[in-house]
Amino acid sequence: MMIAKILALTIFIVMFVLIITDKIEKCLVTLCCGLATAVLVFGLSMHSMSAFTQTLNVRSIFTLGFWYEAGSSSESTSGVNWATIIFLAGMMVMVEGMAKAGFFRWLCMTIAKLVKYKVIPIFLTFMVMSFVLAMFIDSITVILFLAAVTVELAQLLKFNPVPIILSEIFCANLGGSATMCGDPPNIIIGTSLGYSFADFVTNTGLIAVISLVVIVAYFYLCFRKEFGKAGTDVDISKMPSPKSAITDKKAFAISTVIFLIAVALLITHAQTGLTVAFIGTFIAIITLATSGKNAKAILKGVDYKTLLFFIGLFFVVGGLEQTGILEIFAQFIGKVSGGNIMVMIAIIIWVSAIASAFIDNIPFAATMIPVIKTLSATTGADLSVLAWTLAMGTDIGGSATPIGASANVVGTSIASREGYPVTWGKYCKVAVPATIIVILISMVSIYVRYL
Amino acid sequence: MGEQLIIAVSREFGSGGHAVAQLLSERYNIPLYDSNLLEDIANQKNLDAQALGRYDEKSKASFFTRSVRGFSTSPEENLAWMQFKYLKGMADEGKSFVIVGRCAEEVLKDNPNLVTVFVLGNMENKIHRIMERYQTTRDKAAKLIEQQDKKRKSYHNTYCQGKWGDSRNYDLCINSRLGVDKTTDIIAHFIDSERA
Repeated sequence: MMIAKILALTIFIVMFVLIITDKIEKCLVTLCCGLATAVLVFGLSMHSMSAFTQTLNVRSIFTLGFWYEAGSSSESTSGVNWATIIFLAGMMVMVEGMAKAGFFRWLCMTIAKLVKYKVIPIFLTFMVMSFVLAMFIDSITVILFLAAVTVELAQLLKFNPVPIILSEIFCANLGGSATMCGDPPNIIIGTSLGYSFADFVTNTGLIAVISLVVIVAYFYLCFRKEFGKAGTDVDISKMPSPKSAITDKKAFAISTVIFLIAVALLITHAQTGLTVAFIGTFIAIITLATSGKNAKAILKGVDYKTLLFFIGLFFVVGGLEQTGILEIFAQFIGKVSGGNIMVMIAIIIWVSAIASAFIDNIPFAATMIPVIKTLSATTGADLSVLAWTLAMGTDIGGSATPIGASANVVGTSIASREGYPVTWGKYCKVAVPATIIVILISMVSIYVRYL
Repeated sequence: MGEQLIIAVSREFGSGGHAVAQLLSERYNIPLYDSNLLEDIANQKNLDAQALGRYDEKSKASFFTRSVRGFSTSPEENLAWMQFKYLKGMADEGKSFVIVGRCAEEVLKDNPNLVTVFVLGNMENKIHRIMERYQTTRDKAAKLIEQQDKKRKSYHNTYCQGKWGDSRNYDLCINSRLGVDKTTDIIAHFIDSERA
């Protein structure tokens, strides 16, 4: 068993190093490491077919509980989290349909028009829009469109788009922390530990909204002088019309309705009993069924590499779980904290935040879930409190650096490609204090509310 | 080959490739783009050319960068893509120009009016040229050549399928040992023969 432990940990470390160096496609890294876990850890070291099938976890898909849960949900399965993968795939199909119809560009242009193309109001409303959209849609898509429109408006209104893009990125990550479907770590936490959309909204959501108020004020104070008199002498009639963003009116109307259905299903999933896997599948089916000949193009636009990345990742983490390494880590945290929940929360939130600032927060969250489960079982700490702590730490920590979260990479890249390079220094100067502020708000909120 | 003419010149450091590009630009009376390409972009987009220049023709750092769906945090990489896009735009508009470096032989490979050249040189000639230009010692010149070529290779091979200096990627690979003028004449003869 010792050899299995060493191998599982080695594979895990190799996977992380390869992800950080960014030389090999991430999905290839996790899939190869997943395969190595299957062969070296489960096969050659453990000789355990059951460890392999448990981690592969395909059987769970064919159970009723995977699609529909009467009463409270309890999807505490280990191994590959198929619910997360299926849900993400479904949402990707929906978002692809919305993007093709011009929904996001239309929304950004409409809001810019509503505030009469004034730079400071655009700055403030785009932050809030970024937060709200990221609650339901992956932050990459949100930033992809928001940053592109910001650059377009910057060129028309002659202002530097970087402050607005940096603020949008931060608010997208913050919005993602507010709901179960906003950020991949939350989906993994929710599906692995059996929490609902409403659980997230009433816990991490509340912290996120309080943080948003503070953060909007923070970014306003940081950047208010940057814009000067930009946009004051612009002929509004010459600005692009929001309607021009709509590529297909019918597809636009349908994709908007599907989006609203998805939001309604997610908000009510604890009441209806429909799991996120069901919602993802249903949304994907209706998107494809209503998109006619565009269905093929929509399917082509799905980010399969991310889905494969998840499968490999869950397998490698499954190796750590099956060999008991994560239990050892949990016991270590328990010992360091002396069983004191306040210390435990502080350790989890700060370690998660600092780690997520430099490494992908998805593998980190996936690794930490079994750890907090063990921690809760062995120390008696409330699992939900640890889950909200982990969610806020991983979701917000990623905002601190340009490489911490996918939205940061996409946003800074869009700005750079238009001639506004964003260096580490420029990014961190505003993002690190903002991250510390939100982590402190989260920690204090958790202490005050749950202890 | 039509009226448009784009000459993409890649070169070893110290080979005189840049001077050759300059002479070709004068001979065909078409603009020369090298680092001034950034100034052009900056003027058009109202950007700070000096700030952008820091990332020009540099390979991205291995650590502390991350890519997501084809987007990267590396300013060097993003600047490179911005220049590639601009070059493609100019080529699509039918403009004629000489472009030095910037992976142009691959970026513009679909343009039928493109001529690609790689200028190399004998080590001895390159060292003498660099010693003269930078008023430096032989050892320092040799080291500089090695360093600069390594950088150019790394930059090029980051963005291109074809390898830097591989003869299969260029219409013409030429050693500049006959001197800048004669090298230019030979390239021009090749271009004129093809356009005739």
